[in-house]
Amino acid sequence: MLINFTLNHKPVSIDIPTDITLSVMLREHLKLTGTKEACEIGECGACSVLLDGELVNSCLVAAPSVMGREVITIEGIHAEDGGPNDLQRNFIEKGAVQCGFCIPGMVIAGEALLAIKSEPSRLEIREALAGNLCRCTGYMQIVDAIETTAKERAEKPNLSKRER
Amino acid sequence: MADLKYIGQPAQRVDALDKVMGKTKYVGDMSIPGMLYARTLRSELPHARIVRLDTSPALQVPGVVAVVTSADFVNHSNFGFPISDMYMLAHEKVRYVGEGIASVAAETPEAALEGVKAIICELEPLPAVFDMAHALDPDAPQIGPNRTDGKHPNYIGHYPVYKGNPKEKLLQCDMVIDQKYETVMQEHAYLETEGGLAIPTPEGGVVVYLSCQSPFIPRNDLCKVLGLPADRVRVIVPPVGGSFGGKDDLNYQTAGQVAALALKAKRPVRMTFSREESIIASYKRGSMRMNIKLGADKDGTLRACEFRSLYDSGAYSSQSPFTSWRASIHAMGAYRYDDCTVDIDTVYTNTGYAGAYRGFGNTEVCSGIEQAIDEMADALKMDPLEFRLKNCLKVGDVTPHGQLLSESVGLRDCLLAVRKMSDWDRKRKDFANQSPSAEKRRGIGVSALFHGTSLGAEGLDEATATIEIHADNQVTITSGLTDYGTGARTVYTLIAAEILGIQPERIKVHNPDTNTAKDSGPTVASRTTILAGNSVRVAAQNLLQNLDWAAADLLKCDVYQVHRVGEDYIGPSEELVSWDIVVKHAREMGLVLSAFGRWSAPQIHWDEEKGTGTPYFAYHFGAQVAEVEVDLKTGHTDVVNIWAVHDIGKVIFPQGAYGQLYGGISHGLGYGLYEDLDYQNGYAQSINFDTYLIPTSMDMPEIQGGFVEATFSAGPFGAKNIAEPAMVPTAPAILNAIANATGRRIRKLPANLERVMLGKELTKKGSPFSCKVALKIT
Ligand code: FES
Ligand code: FES
Repeated sequence: MLINFTLNHKPVSIDIPTDITLSVMLREHLKLTGTKEACEIGECGACSVLLDGELVNSCLVAAPSVMGREVITIEGIHAEDGGPNDLQRNFIEKGAVQCGFCIPGMVIAGEALLAIKSEPSRLEIREALAGNLCRCTGYMQIVDAIETTAKERAEKPNLSKRER
Repeated sequence: MADLKYIGQPAQRVDALDKVMGKTKYVGDMSIPGMLYARTLRSELPHARIVRLDTSPALQVPGVVAVVTSADFVNHSNFGFPISDMYMLAHEKVRYVGEGIASVAAETPEAALEGVKAIICELEPLPAVFDMAHALDPDAPQIGPNRTDGKHPNYIGHYPVYKGNPKEKLLQCDMVIDQKYETVMQEHAYLETEGGLAIPTPEGGVVVYLSCQSPFIPRNDLCKVLGLPADRVRVIVPPVGGSFGGKDDLNYQTAGQVAALALKAKRPVRMTFSREESIIASYKRGSMRMNIKLGADKDGTLRACEFRSLYDSGAYSSQSPFTSWRASIHAMGAYRYDDCTVDIDTVYTNTGYAGAYRGFGNTEVCSGIEQAIDEMADALKMDPLEFRLKNCLKVGDVTPHGQLLSESVGLRDCLLAVRKMSDWDRKRKDFANQSPSAEKRRGIGVSALFHGTSLGAEGLDEATATIEIHADNQVTITSGLTDYGTGARTVYTLIAAEILGIQPERIKVHNPDTNTAKDSGPTVASRTTILAGNSVRVAAQNLLQNLDWAAADLLKCDVYQVHRVGEDYIGPSEELVSWDIVVKHAREMGLVLSAFGRWSAPQIHWDEEKGTGTPYFAYHFGAQVAEVEVDLKTGHTDVVNIWAVHDIGKVIFPQGAYGQLYGGISHGLGYGLYEDLDYQNGYAQSINFDTYLIPTSMDMPEIQGGFVEATFSAGPFGAKNIAEPAMVPTAPAILNAIANATGRRIRKLPANLERVMLGKELTKKGSPFSCKVALKIT
């Protein structure tokens, strides 16, 4: 089946089997391996992407259902120059990264939260990450990174997405 | 050691950038042209004889290219250390549900699965043993290999520590505690499941990208089972998505399977596991049943400890002989005793199998002894933290093993620090005055630990690093030890930058690769900072000598007259020359711009019969306090706060050390409250994250951590270690807090809802059916 959608701000048209998930389409058919799979039953959040701006587990989304919609994966999150954006830089600076396997999902979940909440409390950040498992970090430094980014963005509210 | 520029200073992880951008390629992200997908047929029975194995129907399945069984290997693919009881694929028998029997490579994952289903495999069920208490019954079915010493084949070993006669001493003590404690199996739950990618080489060899901890072990195993010389087998460790002790033995089998398939198919072959396959097939933290007797005087002086336990290794011995040994050394806790004996017996059963997992035996025994210590303090009506302070090891003490602790013992400072940070004294008082009718009750508990550094008397303990300056002046480091998420690469980088006096950005650490790195033993036992760190230090010092000579030559002075200003060199003439110019000059002088560094741990010795000696050359110490709120109506326990202070020697990479501390605590919190990889009749009852619960961001409290730097003279810049011990005291601190809150003690881990509420367990919902289905569909 041919489906058309917007992937990381660019139009995509791809012929895929109808019975695959969005995560499989991204990883196997589009070779975007930044999105991970660690349970495939919607429990771990490693496969998190933004679908029309909303956080979803791509392992639970039928690939054909993204027809005409907008998908953002970790490959679509970066600063204008292609380097890390402020949230990603804070993940590095705060020591939020260990093995890294959960990290693309964590960055996506962080962006999803910051898009709807400008100054979340630590507890609100924890709530927003509750669907994303990390076995390495104990979450402390991940919460630090998102909290710091929120503060920085609140200080410079006029910064456009591209300038981050 | 004044003026350290990089060691202990703020630094960032060297491999974080690619990870936050989603660019890091783990095994499952690699694909190369012509690559086949592999899948393994796994046992659906806990103990059975393979009466028929016909793989020819699999080859008829469209897309299937190759199939291998144990018959495709030398000596039926037998391997394993220290006991060679495993096979790359089962030979004659299967001993647990999930054991690999045959592997298929095909054009697509679907075809590989169809191939697996087409294999004719007839299993004749054998009687099985699931209860470790019956493993050594005279009529118990044989699980372990044949033995010639007359001992039961299901017996793996006995691990003792002997000092004096606690039996007699206990009779003289004012107060005696005699209790049983029990731990259950824990799943590593690394987010990246197991996997390997094998690529055949034109010379008839094979290169394997393997998500594992210790590449030289599978390299050497592969040489043996494939009958290939060392130059034909190369193992490279790509970025690893977590391991915690878990990516060794099972994934060595993966390596064997993909390598044999790649050689047969003459095409690259990749295998990755679904979560279900990972949990069913992989080894766990083993379960342990302990009986602890403690004796003390009225004044709170500990006198005697008698510790007995049984440890279940499941179907294979894996690392259990070492795990059990480490457990025996730590079983009595970090305290002084007049008399102390430990006896641990380790056995085979058909309950999955047990191997290495963070803490490696100490996590298990610490949950027992640290509860017993609390129970003793309670019985003596002493504050449990005060009781620990009174009895804990300090410099100058002799441990129950007979080892004089001459330096680097920071336990007392750790205990004092967590007492202060947690406002312990006030909270103990306040919580004692809670209304007896309150539904939600608070409690606070403490746990201490010691943890022997590196392998100890388990084996030869040395590491080698290489360092090299390339034509573009980039500096590269190799180590045979792996960074599977721990931050070791950053530690090597900071050490080399400090010694060479150059910016860390100039340095790059290679992936562990058996063709370029030197065998440095296994990446286990939290040994990387000391062993690999020291070897990098030595390598960098060796390289520095050549650069210093070159600088002196360039500056026309003696080596001792050369000084550094930032990266630059300066001589008596006060003229600055840059590091790059010095390197260029060294090259022109014909000096070698690469160096080795080897570091061997101090000599130690353990007498396995007498149960005495010097088990480890140094120890990590630590203390954690947990504060909980228990809802007596639902049994729900909320861990509200954790304070953790550990003596890790000199802190090299602070942000990484905190990361290890927090992450370790999350494993310990899971172990204390939810994690129970329960097996019923050999079948895992949880096979994915919907029923095997690991802590989420909501389960984890805000943690306040800290470090005591009781430096260790032989460590790199005085460093010891952190990775494993971070998790060890968490579960007992939580259990002690629950006992403080509720007045009820839960002596079997985890303290889940049922145990807190009812004091017993509910029956489980998993079934053999779900394991069997998962092995054939997902
Ligand atoms: S892989 Fe999608 S939630 Fe785990
Ligand atoms: S960093 Fe390893 S799972 Fe989160």
